[in-house]
Amino acid sequence: MSTAETSAGPGRRLRLPFSPWHLVLVPLTLVLVAPLLWMVLTSLQTAAEANKFPPVLIPHHWRFANYVDAWHTAPFGTFFLNSALVTLVVVVSNLVVCSLAGYAFARVRFLGRKALFLTLMATLMVPFQVTMIPVFLIVKWFGDNVWSYLGINHLGALMLPNLATAFGIFFLRQFFQTVPVELEDAARVDGTSRIGVLFKIVLPLSMPAMSTLAALTILTSWNDFLWPLIVITSQDQMTVPLGLSYFQGAHSTDWPLLMAGNVMSLLPMLLVFVVAQRYFVQSVAGTGLKG
Amino acid sequence: MAEVEYAGVTRRFGADVVALHGLDLTVADGEFLILVGPSGCGKSTALRLLAGLDKPTSGEIRIGGKTVTHLGPGERDIAMVFQNYALYPHMSVYQNLAYGLRQRRTPRSEIDRRVRETALLLDIDELLDRKPGQLSGGQRQRVAMGRALVRRPQAFLLDEPLSNLDAKLRTQVRGDLKRLHRELPVTSIYVTHDQVEAMTLGDRICVMSKGEVQQIGTTDEIYNRPANTFVAGFMGSPPMNLVPATVKAGRVLVAGVPLVDLASPDRPVVVGVRPEDLQVRGPGTAASIPARIDFCEPLGSHVLVHALVDTDPASPAPATVVVQAPPGTMLDPGAGIGLTASPGKTYLFDAETGRADLTGDPVAST
Amino acid sequence: MAEATVAQEGRRPGALRRLGRSESLTGWSLVGPGALLIGVFGLLPVLMSLKLSFQRSDLLTPDTPWVGTKNYRQLADDPRFADAIQHTIVYTALFVPGTMVVGLLVAAAMNRSVRFISVYRTAAYVTMAVSTISEGIIFLWLTDQDYGLVNAALNKVGISSQPFLSSPSQALYVIVAMTIWGWTGFAVIVYLAALQGVPVELHEAAAIDGASPFTRFRTITLPLLSPASLFLVVWLTINALQLFDEVWLTTKGGPLHATTVIVYYLWDQAFVQFNAGYAAAMAYALFVVIVLVTAVQFRLARKHVHYS
Repeated sequence: MSTAETSAGPGRRLRLPFSPWHLVLVPLTLVLVAPLLWMVLTSLQTAAEANKFPPVLIPHHWRFANYVDAWHTAPFGTFFLNSALVTLVVVVSNLVVCSLAGYAFARVRFLGRKALFLTLMATLMVPFQVTMIPVFLIVKWFGDNVWSYLGINHLGALMLPNLATAFGIFFLRQFFQTVPVELEDAARVDGTSRIGVLFKIVLPLSMPAMSTLAALTILTSWNDFLWPLIVITSQDQMTVPLGLSYFQGAHSTDWPLLMAGNVMSLLPMLLVFVVAQRYFVQSVAGTGLKG
Repeated sequence: MAEVEYAGVTRRFGADVVALHGLDLTVADGEFLILVGPSGCGKSTALRLLAGLDKPTSGEIRIGGKTVTHLGPGERDIAMVFQNYALYPHMSVYQNLAYGLRQRRTPRSEIDRRVRETALLLDIDELLDRKPGQLSGGQRQRVAMGRALVRRPQAFLLDEPLSNLDAKLRTQVRGDLKRLHRELPVTSIYVTHDQVEAMTLGDRICVMSKGEVQQIGTTDEIYNRPANTFVAGFMGSPPMNLVPATVKAGRVLVAGVPLVDLASPDRPVVVGVRPEDLQVRGPGTAASIPARIDFCEPLGSHVLVHALVDTDPASPAPATVVVQAPPGTMLDPGAGIGLTASPGKTYLFDAETGRADLTGDPVAST
Repeated sequence: MAEATVAQEGRRPGALRRLGRSESLTGWSLVGPGALLIGVFGLLPVLMSLKLSFQRSDLLTPDTPWVGTKNYRQLADDPRFADAIQHTIVYTALFVPGTMVVGLLVAAAMNRSVRFISVYRTAAYVTMAVSTISEGIIFLWLTDQDYGLVNAALNKVGISSQPFLSSPSQALYVIVAMTIWGWTGFAVIVYLAALQGVPVELHEAAAIDGASPFTRFRTITLPLLSPASLFLVVWLTINALQLFDEVWLTTKGGPLHATTVIVYYLWDQAFVQFNAGYAAAMAYALFVVIVLVTAVQFRLARKHVHYS
């Protein structure tokens, strides 16, 4: 009921031009985003202003140059390119590999299917900390023996362990199971090949699920910190979170500069989130409700 | 006294949509009143306003003499059975029934007595420990009724409670409801779109359309003395045949054939005759309206004959007339026939307003 | 062509067997890449880690002597590890309920259809997109002892400036607050979806039954939210036990090891002290803890979680 009326007693009504809930929602929302707002405001301050206490809320001079400075102080461009490249490869790889595997688990009867599926899903229970040390060694081996790009301190090492996830397979399998089998059967009767059904019928119908998986993978890949921390030591190979953390370490008292760098680092994922919002919401809500 | 009164109740949504327009209705203590009409007619709105789930834009609502217009739903001493039952899924049947009494701080022993008594009355006493998810549709419906009855409310509101049941169960529960109301005559307001439920269950029926009351009356009044074309066409299955006709020289003519005398200036009217009051005759029968067969629907006990009548030579589309004919009537599509009406069963409605004129007598008795 | 024949003859035993075999080949070739990748980077490491936990290793030299259960015994006696466990428990015990309460309150506020509600909701969700590092930097600035906004606000109401992240007694709590903020978006999404799944008629029926809004929330809404609450408890606990990024950025486990949580200690042992075997043992201990805690939570859930 969205009546804009509140009863102030029998017969008397207080009418506001808008719902009274806005009086709660506006302050609540402001409090939630306050840290982000403060970050933006600080990024526009001069160094002198930032060191004032109590702090000046609205900067007197809007110093956009902080952003230019940040860009030149640390190779943010390189950070963005590295993150973008790693994320792109990981997302594409996941979409391809997980849809093939997910489809097989959903629709193809093969020997050992159940056992394999359970084994792969068991890896979901294992925390990253258990696997990170051996994966470090494995990646090192790849770098030394196969292709240096895949090894320590290279972007390939960031991509390799994440090219397919058990979650992605699980997620797409769930979805493929909801595509009516009759559609595939009809296509087979019409002469489509076994694999063709996947590409011509199932995948085109799976765009929402693929988009959701892509959105989630983009977010987790871009914001990943621990693994890049372990593997990357040279600045020119750093991804955004790692590069940002070193930037912070190097300029820990230059708050406006730091905040400018932080804003730049946040923007890509904020944009992705706002644009793909409904996919994130669907995916989180869906798993949460099915328990 | 648990009389329910709507006084000039209007519900507007924004500037354009009027869900309910000036409803004036009094339901007597212990009466079973039905609100019936097509979807969007305002019946559910009227019920929700009575329940306190919505507030009227203007007008007053009184229960048992007390004005409740500005009271919340919990303060009106009413109980409601929802279309989807709205049972609390995480509580047992016992807890569902007890919930309302617990909110009113009824003592535990009293709650227990009333819950068991009501459960026995509705034949759900074996199910008290189960959860709604474990019950069948019919059982859930009875629990919903029980939850409402256990509180002994002043008024009992029912929002299409049978519509989610399959046809056979619906008929059975309809009977149960009638018996229940005989034993516990609580003032009841029942909303439905099904006119069979309306006619069989109600002491009085309030027919509604587009937010306005069309007619209030008993089943007999509504069926045999419809106030306008809407009520005439809505109640009854198959519905009353309504065809355009004209008054000329003191007689009502349908497709040029005089049907009844009417003292009135020349004007267009609408003639209404129920399918069971029409007869199929040979094509040239005196004083019969010429028609041709469209198709026949045999139903075992009778045959529904669908015929086409050219009421207006100017307009190309003929009017469809349905006749309830004796079993075994077999006629070919396109065959010519004549239609006659039983005496005293021809209704006349004003062509513009749709309101009922006096019933006329046929020109030549059959 | 063979496919079409198979589809027609699918009912006959011979064709079925043929179908079974060709399906197996298809199946395995589709699953192959994924299975291989997860096998190499998911399963193999689990076994390697187990083996490593019985060895001494510095990750660089190939010499990894077998030490039996020495690592695990050392773990049981290590006071630093015991501290790390304690810090992690305190953190988890505050973070999980904190995030759930905040998420539920915000979701309840957002569960209505007023104008601009989608804007409010987007703002509530948005913390999900903020990386742990960005979050850490923002809160370092907010809680700065000399120039931070929080201390300015405290001063205004007469409280003296607090050291926050520089104080051994306060730092962990600041991290709790910081991560609650970061996870609010996620909790709001889960609770909002759950709230919207509660049919309006249940509230209406309860209102007619005479229940006040607060009673309705307690007796109707909360129980029906229990599946979502279970999901959040499990998911948030697992993540809380693995806290690392924010600690690394803001306090590096300090001051005076006050914020050293299990994973931070683990990482330090593995990649700074190069005690990889010891770290592997620690990781396995954490693994066991996570599985146990999750199992206990599910067990308790059976009594308290209502699925409708």
